[in-house]
Amino acid sequence: MKKSRINDIIAAHISIPNGSVNKPYQAVVDFEKWNMGDVIFSEWKGLADIGLTYNSERKTIEGNPTVSGDHKIQLHFCLEGEPIHVKILNLIINPDPRSLWKDLPSDVNDPYAKPDDATAYALMGDRKLVVSSKRGRSHKNAGTFRDDDFAFYNFDEKGWSLIAVADGAGSSAFSRKGAEIACNATIEYFKQYFAENKEKEIEDAAPDAITAIAKKHMYQAVKYVYGQIKEEAEQHAAANPALFNHKNKTVLEYYHTTLIFALLKRFDFGYLMMTFGVGDCPIVLLKEDEVKLLNRLDVGEFGGGTRFLTQAAIFHSKEIPMESRFNVSIEQDFSYLFLMTDGIYDPKFEVENNLQHLAHWKDFMEDLHGNNEAKAEVDFSQPLNEVAQSLSGWMDFWSPGNHDDRTLAIIY
Amino acid sequence: MRRLPVYLLIDTSGSMAGEPIEAVKNGVQVMISSLRQNPQAIETAFLSVITFDTTAKQIIPLTDLVSFQMPDIKASGVTALGDALKLLSTCLDNEVKKTSAESKGDWKPLVFIMTDGIPTDDNWQDGLNEFKKRKVGNTIACAAGHSADPKILKQITENVVSLDTVDSAGVSKFFAWVTASIGVASMKVEDSGKEVGGINELPAPPSELNIVT
Repeated sequence: MKKSRINDIIAAHISIPNGSVNKPYQAVVDFEKWNMGDVIFSEWKGLADIGLTYNSERKTIEGNPTVSGDHKIQLHFCLEGEPIHVKILNLIINPDPRSLWKDLPSDVNDPYAKPDDATAYALMGDRKLVVSSKRGRSHKNAGTFRDDDFAFYNFDEKGWSLIAVADGAGSSAFSRKGAEIACNATIEYFKQYFAENKEKEIEDAAPDAITAIAKKHMYQAVKYVYGQIKEEAEQHAAANPALFNHKNKTVLEYYHTTLIFALLKRFDFGYLMMTFGVGDCPIVLLKEDEVKLLNRLDVGEFGGGTRFLTQAAIFHSKEIPMESRFNVSIEQDFSYLFLMTDGIYDPKFEVENNLQHLAHWKDFMEDLHGNNEAKAEVDFSQPLNEVAQSLSGWMDFWSPGNHDDRTLAIIY
Repeated sequence: MRRLPVYLLIDTSGSMAGEPIEAVKNGVQVMISSLRQNPQAIETAFLSVITFDTTAKQIIPLTDLVSFQMPDIKASGVTALGDALKLLSTCLDNEVKKTSAESKGDWKPLVFIMTDGIPTDDNWQDGLNEFKKRKVGNTIACAAGHSADPKILKQITENVVSLDTVDSAGVSKFFAWVTASIGVASMKVEDSGKEVGGINELPAPPSELNIVT
């Protein structure tokens, strides 16, 4: 009788909740519920090895687990008049997910190598710029490159400021170079542009003619940038044909990248802002009580696929006319101008729609100001270099499922 | 966060008793332990288990890998595959979050079906028709042993594999492949925001699994 009772106890399937390394653990031990009410003595063995103890007062297994794995825990027990027997229970302790991500450096000797992280700051006319771009955990885990990029320039004597951000396509082998050229060529183009005083045509235009002229000028810039990427792609392909061996892929497709840029200057009537965008990176102007998206977003799920600067089709699309990619606006004042990649807005705004809602931006600003899990704070009243440093720190926020490269530029 | 839902439909009819069902339990355990070591999978993959014998039961609702525990399962009865597909359809409706303008829904689910027999419910096609109305990412069916009929499974999905014998070696190979497939799918959604397009984008099945064409 006793013998079969003991075998029943030993064979019974009892599950205790799983734990996780470094997360407080507590599991209730209830012999009545486990149908073991006749046990008169019990003792747990094997708990200490994994950072747990049995609390006899509270009747709980508790502590901070230290070792992950499928652990076999021993319950030594006896029934009245019987010797001690041992029941084995399975206790699963999960690893801390953060410890599973590797941080492998990218190859510095690669011809298209780029720093894993980049942070910068500058005065932009009467405003300030901080910008940070960080390699995503998915790239760190695999030792691959950051695909995001940025570049900026302040044309002091002219009063114009320019910032460009690009996100190279994850599926294109050389998109990191595409993104880099996209940003740098934008700067190059406008250096030449201002050297030739071409901005005069905009500045001297009648108010109702400004938009059309500015759009034409930006179009020339984008055409130039496209040409620069194409040139690099063709040269690299000619020199290394083995690297471009996809049958149905043009050489440009290896460099697929998005691009957004904003060119701004303060006049006595307000800020003149010229913006361009192809792809899913937003340019957002935040005012005291208004938020404005300054570019059209090419969004995958709702808009039938994202678009890249490196697709010749964008220049003569009927569905999305090139003209609609440029925006010119005059703003009396603004609090912040943001340029970002999806590595930021996916975790922070979830869907593109939310980028246009002031309530989400209020939350985002609170987050920037330290209302977050890591208590990382960006204090815009601090010296510029410190703001940039704290932005870089803030960008390391943890968000399960969101491990893309992150780039965020803030003009304030 | 966007979850990657994974549904396992497991035949627990009488013919699975003994080594096969023990191999399935073991296969799931090993799969979970292995996925817990994969940073993308542990964050993204959610798992549900539906068993079917004389009736179908969802023995584990969609659960994150961190708290997942494999219950004890026993094999007895016949093979209500139609009932299982009907239940799966209901679970997909209730558990998988749809995308809206305000929030991103879950990724499209992966469904793995393993059976060693043929459907015994009279109107199993009713379940099939219900399931066909649901949107899933990939459905992979495994015909285990010679009593299973790959042609029937072909009606459920294009992607059918077969195992010659339902022993622990074969079953563990199948689950090792399921594990690798979930790993690849979760990496794909996390790293590039894309879903797996078809069986061709999953890891190549081991030689013990024959792809049924």
